[in-house]
Amino acid sequence: MQGLIDFVIKFKNYISFVALVVISLSLISMGSINKIGGFRTIVIGSMGWFQEIFAWVPNPTAVKNENKALRELNLQLSTEVTRMREAVVENRSLRGMLFYAQKPEYPFETVEIVGRTTLQMRDYMMINKGKNSGLLEGMPVRTDAGLVGILIGASNNYGLLEVILNRDIKISAKCQRSQYSGLIVWEGGEFLLMKNVPKSYDIKTGDIIVTSNYSQKYPENIPIGEVIVSREEKGELFLKIVVKPLVNFATIEQAFVLKHLPNPEKSLLITEIDDKLKLRKLEAKKTDKIYFEKKKKTQTENKKQ
Amino acid sequence: MMNLLQDTQLKRNEVRRYITYAILSVVLIIVNLTVLDFVAIGNITPDLLLILCVWISIQEGQFIGVFAAFIIGLTLDIVSIDVIGTNALTKILVAFVAGFFYREGEAFKTIGSYKFLLIVFGTAVLHNLLYNFFYLKVSDASFVTFFMKYGIATALYTTVLGIFPMLSKIPRKGY
Repeated sequence: MQGLIDFVIKFKNYISFVALVVISLSLISMGSINKIGGFRTIVIGSMGWFQEIFAWVPNPTAVKNENKALRELNLQLSTEVTRMREAVVENRSLRGMLFYAQKPEYPFETVEIVGRTTLQMRDYMMINKGKNSGLLEGMPVRTDAGLVGILIGASNNYGLLEVILNRDIKISAKCQRSQYSGLIVWEGGEFLLMKNVPKSYDIKTGDIIVTSNYSQKYPENIPIGEVIVSREEKGELFLKIVVKPLVNFATIEQAFVLKHLPNPEKSLLITEIDDKLKLRKLEAKKTDKIYFEKKKKTQTENKKQ
Repeated sequence: MMNLLQDTQLKRNEVRRYITYAILSVVLIIVNLTVLDFVAIGNITPDLLLILCVWISIQEGQFIGVFAAFIIGLTLDIVSIDVIGTNALTKILVAFVAGFFYREGEAFKTIGSYKFLLIVFGTAVLHNLLYNFFYLKVSDASFVTFFMKYGIATALYTTVLGIFPMLSKIPRKGY
């Protein structure tokens, strides 16, 4: 017994290190970033309140950029208004002729960004509305310019949104002009990448990328960004497409939360298939292991003989 | 009698130090989540809690260091939106490695020298390597690029801020 105590005392640093690592790993295996509930919801609420206190601090660079962006937007909008007026008249007559079935438009909630957290390369924003305003986890967030992100947690009065400049983000998207689709990901920096687009697809610089109807999380046709680079890389099957987000994340102050939630039946089906695939992979690994162990055994037996 | 008085004084100092660490941790966590974005350089923010963990390990040793790092990391996991356990694990590793540089009674000597910056940089690189590894997906072939770009940059930024605690403990020359 004394020997054991001596051993523990002698190696207490290593024993405590190993024990704490095991505890941390078990906590990691139990937790998931998408499941924020209970105590953490209260924490989000309190952090939102705290971040709101600092929200008044002005950022001169952001204000300057915002002014510039607003002036440009103003110019664009005044041109658009003239075009729209003409289009409304034209649309009315055409709709009557074509029996145009209007696509559903989602109700939205206007929110203010009260805080921003950059945690190890992942951007999150705190908004000033939560469950009391009917906002729920999983609702997409956009501005007039384009997609901002998705709500990943909500307390009664605050919500937390995950911005698209995030390593966990994968958005099914398409080119507005040619309708070719791909996958939007972020790999650092201020731009996004559109992946899985074969070289034969027609996507050019200046094209606008929007969310596609394949997307489970986001409604269709929300603008994401503009293609600034589209080129063929040597030895690659796919195009290298760099997309500049339409939203200026440095100056964003207000956004709209679309009251749209993923279809639960569709989500359930995806989860079921995911689980099945994982199981299949595990079984395959087991069979491989047994096969290699048997092979090793026979080899050692052969050597002995 | 004198020994007893000295022991009580030592214990009081110890408790005072632990309370200071606790207050510092809470303040740094709040700073981490609120005002740190104002000093972000292209999404890169320094990790002030890592500096604190290194400090504690160098001053108190590996044993207390890993426990303090676990509590700090876990608190950060709870108040931030990270997967619970990730920051706890990475901070434990930081404290454990930094603890190897613990020399009884010579903590301020280590902290007040360039060695402290080297320890901060080394542990920050390890920390970011492990942290980014959690978010590595099988399809992501760009882990190395991502780590070189952000892991090293964050470590460097953290090291730069490590200069302040180092300066506070540089022995002043008397005249």
